[in-house]
Amino acid sequence: MILAALISYPRAIVLGLLQGVSELFPISSLGHTVILPKLLGWNIHQNGDYFLSFLVATHLATAIVLFCFFWRDWVRILKGIGRSLRDREIGDTDADAKLGWLLVVGTIPAGILGLLLQDTLRKAFASGSIAAGFLIANGFLLYGAELLRRRAPQTDADDDVRIARRVSFPASFLVGAFQSLALIPGFSRSGAAMGGGLFVGLSNKDAARFAFLLATPIIGAAALLKLPQLFGPTGDGVRGPALVASLCSAATAYLAVKFLMRYFETKTLTPFAIYCFCAGLACTIWFAV
Amino acid sequence: MRNDRLLVTLAILAGLVLIVIAVIYWVEPAKSLPGFFPGHQAGSGHHHAKHGIAAFFVGLACFAFAWFRSGPKRATPVT
Repeated sequence: MILAALISYPRAIVLGLLQGVSELFPISSLGHTVILPKLLGWNIHQNGDYFLSFLVATHLATAIVLFCFFWRDWVRILKGIGRSLRDREIGDTDADAKLGWLLVVGTIPAGILGLLLQDTLRKAFASGSIAAGFLIANGFLLYGAELLRRRAPQTDADDDVRIARRVSFPASFLVGAFQSLALIPGFSRSGAAMGGGLFVGLSNKDAARFAFLLATPIIGAAALLKLPQLFGPTGDGVRGPALVASLCSAATAYLAVKFLMRYFETKTLTPFAIYCFCAGLACTIWFAV
Repeated sequence: MRNDRLLVTLAILAGLVLIVIAVIYWVEPAKSLPGFFPGHQAGSGHHHAKHGIAAFFVGLACFAFAWFRSGPKRATPVT
């Protein structure tokens, strides 16, 4: 309870606002959540159950916003999956069914690794200096993905048709494997998935869309799985700040996804790569001095 | 055709095995898991529920694969 009091309402607001933006911007939310308290000298125990319970609420809020933002797409995708199960085939022209199964396949690597290794990796790397180091690596990853991207002609007008035509099932698995890098604080989930998307031949816009669709079930399931913690004894004293942080997180997540979907129509990951490299380097030096 | 049948049979078997593994993870504490299971720990009463969820979903994925693979084949267009 004494530890829980360390997340005051002002701190909860800052952490919530930060979570909403950094979860969707390709700059690692986990890394920023680990680094910022250390930078500001907040005595928050990163591996404490109360802090993990707090994070669950903000993650759930982000997942709900993502789900609502792509609500119509999810309805189409789920109908497509239903159609394919009924017909026992994924029709050549059924982009919704193909996209749905691509998301299922892409969720497998991150889902399995997350379930098996999430707690271990978080405990192993939950230090500001380590997260700063991986933030630099995230910068290289984003820049490398831009350099190595395979540019393909984008012929179809509809986003989902383009993605369904361009991405094969093994490629979707690869993008999902990229996404699991985010289990390490400092690597960005959306950034790694967008990088993977570029690598398999998607445009920046399509890679961002695919990454957000891919992130929704993973973030939502991870949060739902840990939700009992928030309502159990470890959530005592955290629920109020967690609720406030969730609302802040939801607001910034909505603005972030709206901004990024427009941003990636014309622009690339390079500015985020530069930010990650510079911020990671500055934090590494700061923590070392 | 024979390859398809073999794949479908293997996928169903793998799915069944994985779902049995999932149930074992949910029911048995870490100390009672077979020694070769990831998460086995002598003396621990912890239930590896998440290992079970992972096994369950991979099992479902195997069934989905078998379902599509054993579906009616489309006629190949004559050229």
